[in-house]
Amino acid sequence: MPASLFAPLTERPSLNRVLLRTLVVIAYLIIFAPVTMIVVTSFFSQEIVSFPPTALTWRWYVNAWDKPEFFRGLLTSLQIALIAAAIGVPIGTAAALAIVRGEFPGKQAISALLLAPLAVPGVVAGSGLYMFYVLAENALDRDIKATTEGLVAAHVLLTIPWTVRLVVASLQGLDRAAEEAAANLGASPFTVFRRITLPMMRPGIVAAAMFSFIQSFENLDLSLLLVGPGRITLPVAMLNYLEFRIDPTLAAVATVQILIVGVLMVVTDRFVKLSRVV
Amino acid sequence: MTLAEGMRGKGGASAKAASPGTALLVLPACLLVLGLLIGPMLLMFRISLNQFSPTQLMIEAFSFGNYARAAADPYYQEIILTTLGMALLCTALTLVIAFPAAYWLGRLQSRWKSLVVIATLFPLLVGNVVRSAGWMALFTREGLINTALLKAHLIGEPLTLMYTPKAVVFGIIAVVLPYMILTIASVIESIPRDLEDAAANLGASGFSQFWRVILPLSAPGVAAGSILVFVLCMNTYATAVLLGGPRFKMMAPAIFDQFVRGNNWPMGATLAFMLLAVTMSFTIFGSIAFARRYRAR
Repeated sequence: MPASLFAPLTERPSLNRVLLRTLVVIAYLIIFAPVTMIVVTSFFSQEIVSFPPTALTWRWYVNAWDKPEFFRGLLTSLQIALIAAAIGVPIGTAAALAIVRGEFPGKQAISALLLAPLAVPGVVAGSGLYMFYVLAENALDRDIKATTEGLVAAHVLLTIPWTVRLVVASLQGLDRAAEEAAANLGASPFTVFRRITLPMMRPGIVAAAMFSFIQSFENLDLSLLLVGPGRITLPVAMLNYLEFRIDPTLAAVATVQILIVGVLMVVTDRFVKLSRVV
Repeated sequence: MTLAEGMRGKGGASAKAASPGTALLVLPACLLVLGLLIGPMLLMFRISLNQFSPTQLMIEAFSFGNYARAAADPYYQEIILTTLGMALLCTALTLVIAFPAAYWLGRLQSRWKSLVVIATLFPLLVGNVVRSAGWMALFTREGLINTALLKAHLIGEPLTLMYTPKAVVFGIIAVVLPYMILTIASVIESIPRDLEDAAANLGASGFSQFWRVILPLSAPGVAAGSILVFVLCMNTYATAVLLGGPRFKMMAPAIFDQFVRGNNWPMGATLAFMLLAVTMSFTIFGSIAFARRYRAR
């Protein structure tokens, strides 16, 4: 790490400084060790993960691409995350607008309700939906569990609290003078919204879209009971594989997932300063 | 927190009266959460009152028998105690490991700061399966830790690390550390540096500055972070399954097993509802404590 990171601490007594640095490094080692490990081992040429590597290779990426469970899992996860974010972000944004700008009783309770999906453990929410889906399947005589619709419905639930939270935060910091000026100059309420309010909300909405997509894309707990043959998301496919073995093919798949999340964060950070919205 | 502030901000915004239709925009989201979360939770509670029968699977009933059984049967007792014990242990260890890093991050004044925050956040968004897989690559017989220790002649035989509670503790701590660091760091940022300098000028050692100034003032962050982390530990699924192995049972994997292997909906619903009750009461307690803190300001 660059020395400038520690600059503010230079005036402290040196023993404390060394101790603090060591503890900080240990904490970040624990955080980064597993992610780094996966990326590194995906290039090892031996079949079983062992050290040191005999040679380095790209072969496992080809191998992973050829495994239908991972390839289809990736497509399924991308598809579900895209649809869930496309549905959840507009709905959550509308709710955020109502919470900040609307007048209605029980606002506190409704806000708590919309944040509830974050507070309910994923496996618990998944169990409830699983029973709900099975009973509805029996009543309606059609498949819901292990369908795209069933998974999307569950994942939209994940996108609502993130969207509401991030868009409310962006709305509250918004100066209304520009909107009033536009209205005074004769813009209709719809024009004011489209030309002034919406562009000013953009950072919050972009951040919400990214978080919604990632929350859905990497979700395991909620999806566990809702997947089925032919409709398995990538995290569930990886979990099933890992229950038998850890090998460089799996590491390659995991590295691809890490890469997708990383690229999304970098791209989003160009629009919104992520360190400020979270 | 953000929501509470948002609602407070509303007062200033009402200079221009909102059209009455604005309030209706909240409806789709509410219906969605009611239909896909609250409804299924009520259904789950109702099913937890039913009885399980190996032949008919589920018999309509209205009794708290499953809850009594979960509390009395040693099999379920062990699961519940393991989960609570792991959650307490991991929360305590996480707090100790996170605090120095949080202090450092909170006091950091550098153009790299936002990069550090994003880097702290990044592993969170990668998902628990990937991170558990990383620990597996470290913990197996041929993994990095055993290889390094063998090469250094510190051990003669490879250690058994995989499928032990120790491995799960490491895995969980790595998962929850970023939450604890970011929560505490945001509170430390708001503690004026002058207080430390004043304490130092008055002769306080580095340790007593930490113990008598920084720690008491960061208590709200410590409390909020600990509650959040405790709840996340209680809910652990992937880490427990992958690093603890099939015989290590925590609540979330046990719930999954009731549905998938046992086809026992009433018991699965009972365990799920118990987990929900514990985690929700902690979350609600935490948010009430927070609301009080914000009002006091």
